Amino acid sequence: MAFYTLGLTFNLVIFLTVIILAVWAYGIYFNFKKWGLGSTGYHDQLRNSFWLFLATWIHEAFKDGLWVFLRTVVLDVLLLRRTLARSPVRWVMHMSMFYGFLMLAALSGLGLMIDIVEHFNLLGLSEQAEMAKELLSLPFDIFGYLLLIGATIAVSRRILLKFVRDNTSAYDALLIGAVFLITVTGFYAEWMRGNSFLIGNAFEYPIYAPHFAMIHTVLAIGLFALILPWSKYIHVIATPMTLIANRGGE
Amino acid sequence: MTGYMLSTQLMEVDGCNRCQECMKWCPTFAVRPDRPGITPMYKNARWRELQAKSQSLRAKIFGPKPLTDDEMKVFTEDTYSCTTCGVCGTVCEAGIKTVELWEAMRPNLVKRGDGPVGKQNMFPKLVKADRNPYMAKQEDRLCWVPKDIKVQESGDIVYFAGCTAAYRQQALGVATVRILDNLGVPFAMLGKDEWCCASAMVRTGQREVMAEHAVHNVDALKDAGAKNVLFACAGCLRNAAVDWPMWYEGYIPYETMPLSVYLRERIRKGDVEYKIPLNYNVTYHDPCHNGRHLMHLKGKDWSFEASRDCITSIPGIKFRDMVRNRALQRCCGAGGGVKAGIPDLALDCAKARVKDGEEVAADIMASTCPFCRRNIMDGRNDAKSGIKVLDVVELMAASMGLDTTIPENPYTKFQEQDVLVCGPATCKVETVERKAPGKDLVGEAH
Repeated sequence: MAFYTLGLTFNLVIFLTVIILAVWAYGIYFNFKKWGLGSTGYHDQLRNSFWLFLATWIHEAFKDGLWVFLRTVVLDVLLLRRTLARSPVRWVMHMSMFYGFLMLAALSGLGLMIDIVEHFNLLGLSEQAEMAKELLSLPFDIFGYLLLIGATIAVSRRILLKFVRDNTSAYDALLIGAVFLITVTGFYAEWMRGNSFLIGNAFEYPIYAPHFAMIHTVLAIGLFALILPWSKYIHVIATPMTLIANRGGE
Repeated sequence: MTGYMLSTQLMEVDGCNRCQECMKWCPTFAVRPDRPGITPMYKNARWRELQAKSQSLRAKIFGPKPLTDDEMKVFTEDTYSCTTCGVCGTVCEAGIKTVELWEAMRPNLVKRGDGPVGKQNMFPKLVKADRNPYMAKQEDRLCWVPKDIKVQESGDIVYFAGCTAAYRQQALGVATVRILDNLGVPFAMLGKDEWCCASAMVRTGQREVMAEHAVHNVDALKDAGAKNVLFACAGCLRNAAVDWPMWYEGYIPYETMPLSVYLRERIRKGDVEYKIPLNYNVTYHDPCHNGRHLMHLKGKDWSFEASRDCITSIPGIKFRDMVRNRALQRCCGAGGGVKAGIPDLALDCAKARVKDGEEVAADIMASTCPFCRRNIMDGRNDAKSGIKVLDVVELMAASMGLDTTIPENPYTKFQEQDVLVCGPATCKVETVERKAPGKDLVGEAH
């Protein structure tokens, strides 16, 4: 069930997607350029250059060779080794959110591609595309639950642990609250469609399912595409880049 | 405002994911729990806010906002209330190299005229004038060396004593040269050509003197034919191993080595002969500069284990680590210029460390850093604790039965340290009180 019924046409969705991606990409460029305000060496002059930031980052990332780079990517970025060393609970939380979010984003991208194939009947694969979309529902559910687990732990920590609560800023609350809200609205939108994973038809309300899906989509796009590059949430990009540049850190 | 920051460091500031882990370990926040602004997480957030005033999307569209004096004052106080101990970097989930980051932020504050704080601004003036922070004569660099010790002018092994061992904690210097002499090690010292390592300047963001001192010291060591430079001062070692090479453009042919590593090798070879058991409960305080700051460069064995191995080799000693040790050690509070800039903060940190020592019932807290020693002694005195503070080298020299009497010299009256006084079969720890006010307004703070 698509949400194009709400006055959105396929072409309009594609157009909006391109706009959003462009805004997101410009946001990333803007940050890279901001980081490029620094120098490239301990007592070098300032360069103020997007490209020299990239060059510096690549230099740092590969300074100790490809093997160290790969090891850092796997152990520190993909397996969050440093987080595990400090707090197993936070590790479970981060891993759930990281992989839940990453896979949902990837599946969404894949879903859009399949939509395009279906819409234009590319290579005559329209029918197969529809079947493929059906197959995606299970991984969507699994990674959705994973994200829900992570987001629930995150919210609970911020509420239940005094030290964490006391040092939670509005930014923290907004980010974690937004992730939680997006996850929950995503689930509810799915449940309203009926015949859902683990839930069945308990919350079935197909008339308003597209509306809820729309709310979920707008929230997700609003946070991750439009707010992320322009706020402290850029850490979603900057943290892995830092880990790689510092070869796993101290 | 971003002048001294590397581009990757500007990225690191944005990489902070506010996990709060640094707050649990920060030694200054532990004694100033009402000031979360001094913790790395808040400092990063503040930097972002300040930078956003001129470099955010809003600033690009509507124009930059000026940095106000009030907010810069707060940020400066927070940034300088950091001992640059680096435990935040060790525990940082995002892998931010925090020591380098704080040390890159500070020169920007100095350039703007906001930093440094307290007496820190005297470092460059004193060091530039006298080449040491104690207003002492360079010609007196070796005035404490016992007459019967042969110090060469050049050689493979050079002992870089540092300003504090030369002028204020001469017991450390005497113990070091006695041991080297006892082991038959031909060693050289730079004498008046040994200039301050300039660590205090780097730590506090006052870089202008740094280059001159780095280049001079490296050239002097090269001229002396050094292949192996031994350090009994963690601050000098850190600077020689990490900072000097960044300012020296030529080839550096020698290796920098903690003295404890060299001595451990000799212990393992069976060259060290102990004569007097030291019947004390001893714990070891890992200096940040010798430990966390060097563990990735020199390895954890050199940084953490060598000193412990030296201590445990001494007969009679019952060794017990404090709860926070090695890479997660609690800073004594003296580093980063805090001892000179914000002395009450340094003192409170030292008292917290003394308490750590008391929890393991230590009689002696040993270390390999004269600045840690100075500050922990101050904390000990303020807390009226009975813990004695000594260098690992002095423990070894005492147990080896070496004569560590400091020859009378122009700086004898400035000596203030715990010393081991030994008879034929036993040693006891005594505290030497300072006999004259020292001209060392800033010298304690590395």
